[in-house]
Parts: sequence; C-alpha cells; structure tokens
Amino acid sequence: MIGFIKKDIAMIKSNFKLMGLLFIVYAVMGLLGEMDISFILPFLSIMIMISTFSYDNYNKWDAYSITLPNGRKNSVKAKYLATILMILIVSIITIILSFVISYVNTKTINYEQILVTMFGTIFGTLLVLTFMYPIIYKYGVEKARIGIFIIVFGLVVVGGFLLQYLDLSFIAKSLSFLEDYLIIILIGITIIMVYVSYIISQKIFSKKEF
Amino acid sequence: MENILEIKNLCKKYDNFELKNITFDLPKGMIMGFIGENGAGKTTTIKAILDIIKYNGEIKIFGLDNHKNDKKIKEDIGVVLDDMFFPEILTPNDINDTMKGIYENWDSKMFYDYLNEFSLLPNKQIKTFSKGMRKKLEIASALSHHPKLLILDEPTSGLDPVARSEVIQIFQSFIEKDDCSILLSSHITTDLEHIADYITFINNGEIVLSKTTSELLDKYGIVKCSESEFKKIDKKDYIKYKKSKYEYEVLIENKKDFKSKYNISIIDKITLDDLMVLMIKGVE
Repeated sequence: MIGFIKKDIAMIKSNFKLMGLLFIVYAVMGLLGEMDISFILPFLSIMIMISTFSYDNYNKWDAYSITLPNGRKNSVKAKYLATILMILIVSIITIILSFVISYVNTKTINYEQILVTMFGTIFGTLLVLTFMYPIIYKYGVEKARIGIFIIVFGLVVVGGFLLQYLDLSFIAKSLSFLEDYLIIILIGITIIMVYVSYIISQKIFSKKEF
Repeated sequence: MENILEIKNLCKKYDNFELKNITFDLPKGMIMGFIGENGAGKTTTIKAILDIIKYNGEIKIFGLDNHKNDKKIKEDIGVVLDDMFFPEILTPNDINDTMKGIYENWDSKMFYDYLNEFSLLPNKQIKTFSKGMRKKLEIASALSHHPKLLILDEPTSGLDPVARSEVIQIFQSFIEKDDCSILLSSHITTDLEHIADYITFINNGEIVLSKTTSELLDKYGIVKCSESEFKKIDKKDYIKYKKSKYEYEVLIENKKDFKSKYNISIIDKITLDDLMVLMIKGVE
C-alpha cells in the first residue's frame, strides 16, 4: 500500500520546484501587502495530483497495477491518500507562511481569518476530489475535466439564480444555532463526502476491465 | 505432477471476438510457450489469469482461486505485459522504492544487480530508455521479488534479434537459479523452441493443442508430396494440408506411424512456425 503512495508522490516530485516558487511568490506578495493568493496553493496541488491520472493512463498503469498484490484496492486508496496528504502538507505550509506574513505585517497573528480561509480552501479542494475522482475512474481524466466544468458552471448558475430570486435568509436564521459548531460540522461533512467518493471510486475500479 | 496454473473452461465474449472454453494446465517448474497469431486470444487469456478482465470459468494459481486470493497469489507472480507498465516519468530508483512498499519479498539488491547487468541507469526517467531497455527494466521488476510463476506476454515483441536473444537468456538463467514456472506468450515461435517444455497453441479463441515441446517436434511432421501421392493419404492420417504451386504440404501427428503405412519418403521435421502456419492456413 505504501508503495502505491510512493509511486504517486514520485510522479509529482518534478512539480515540487514550481510549488516552492509559488510559496515564495505568495510570501513576497503577502509581505508587500498585495493580493492574498493563499487559496491558490492547495488548489494547485490537487490539479497536480489530477495530472498523474494522465500519466497513468498513457502508460496503462491501471492495468499493470492490477497485476500487483491487492492492486485493484490499493491503487485507488493510494490515489486518495496521496492527494489528501498533498493538500494537507501544502495547506499546513501555507498556514505557517500566512502566520509569518501576518506577524511581520501587523505584529500580531490573525489566527481566525487565516484558519477560516484555509479551512474553506481545504473544503473546496476536497470537494473537487469528491466529485472528480469517481468521474475520472469512470470516464477518464479528459472527460472528467469537462464534467467538472459543467458541474461548477451548473452550481454557479443555480446558486446565482437561487440567491437572486429567492429569499434564503430563513435558512441562515434557522441554522444560526449551528454557527458555533461550524468547523466541526464542516470537517464531518468533508470526511463523509470524501469517504463516500472513495467507496464509489473503489466500486468503479473493481469492476473495470482493461 | 503438481500444477502451478490450472485453467478450466475459460470463456470471455467481446463484440467481435470470443475465448471459447480455454482449458490447459502448467505443471510446476515448467516453461510453457503460449503461441498463436496476433489477435488469437493470448493476451485476453493472460488478462483473465491476472484478473485484469472479468470472465466465466475457473482459474487456479498455486492451487488457489485467483478471484479470492489476490494478495497471496500476486506476491508470487512476476509479470511482463505488452505495453503496460509504470508511468514513464518515473526512474528505476522510483520503481525500487515503489515495489519495496508493495512486495513483501522485494529484493532491492537483486533489482540493482539486474539494472547493472542490463546497463540501465537508476536515476534516468523511463521515457529516455529505448524499447529494449524498457523491456529489460520490466523484466528486472518482474524478477526481483523471487516469483514462483512468471507470466510474460510478448516479452520479446518489437525487439531486435540481439535484444531478443539477451532477453531469452535472462529467463533461462533465472530458471536455473530459482525454481520457477513460466507462461510465455509469443508469436515469435523460434524463441520458444529451445526453452519451452510445453507448447499451448491458441487459434481464433480456442486451444488447438497443448503438448510437450519434444512430443510436438519429434512426433509431428510435414509430408511433402505430389497431388497423386496426397490423394492416397487417408483423411484420418493427417491434421491439415496446404497446397502450394508444386507440392502438397501435409501436417501429420505421428511420423513413425505414417512412415510405416505410406511409401512417402520426404517427411520434414516440423518447426513451431510451420505448425502455426499449417494449423491456421491449412485445410482439414
């Protein structure tokens, strides 16, 4: 199992320099008081992970992986774990950098704002993983890119419509008692949705023929 | 004799192709050449053995059902597949790290010894390797966890004669070191004549024959005769025939019996190539 994760990490190591460069750009922009681009870094990490599917596909790794012990199970599990690991590591580095930037700029650390931004970002990236990975396993990475575009576009259009024409404030009011538990609820929802996504991907891959 | 691989009534249907009741066994410690023309069903059979495709029928490896004992079976199988391998942005070093975390018996020293023997640089990306070098890397990966069964699908296809003979030599020396069985599919039959103990021939999704190589090459023969001589041969005494411009080529199953029955002197020894051509193109 560890081997499958190592393989996915080895595939993205050539992107580590780019990530390092982006961390520097983020730090410089933050110190100069320019735009906050912290949310971009975890999103970039998931895009890099998604690119590994293209390499896998090109060299027919998926078929080969089935010939390895527990290959059908472990290659999917490893893809999820490597992606989550990558997102968490990049997010932690971003949070630490944000603390430093905040301290240098204001002599205080704005914990709440930084953590809320990063939790939102992590939730967003894991939302991409949740929807995209099962589609990739079912239809391949190229079709999944189009699929995710349609999903995001659809959500924006539907969301925009709802916000413009319907009064949804009653939902906010009725859910206001949950405000104190928002982070815990968000973490719970995230874990459940990623797990369900993993189970679906696993099911798809277990039936796949090459 | 104990069988390392048993296939019974394996069936798989596609829109334009079908595997029909494939049945054969590979005894322990033996090398089986799995021959047939391109598209005959060799790769499909191998994919079924490795559980890459779904199928009907029964496949047992090391006496275990291959659906239910995936980890146990695959720990002891080494595989070289046609055009399926690690992503080419990885290096042999990455493959070593990966395999160490996958196989319980992964032998890094053995892997690096093979890399050294094959002159493959451990830190170069696979995409910089030639086809022959890639094949050697795939073979090194397949051998370095001390497998008890090697499943090799066209391991020599696309290689030049020098690389092909090198690859065959690698398998031969591996068998000498380890007590291992091999299922080796190839349409280049000359590779198999010297190393295979058994030959299994598949044509159009059906097993045509599965015999020991010595039985096949010693007993089978090709009678070369005129039309008048051919007309005297009883239908049950030959398998197939082919008519060329000047003579008839007739595939027979038993040279000795044939000689004692007919007064035809030219009976050539058979090669696997002849056998394949006559079985595929010949008339019954």
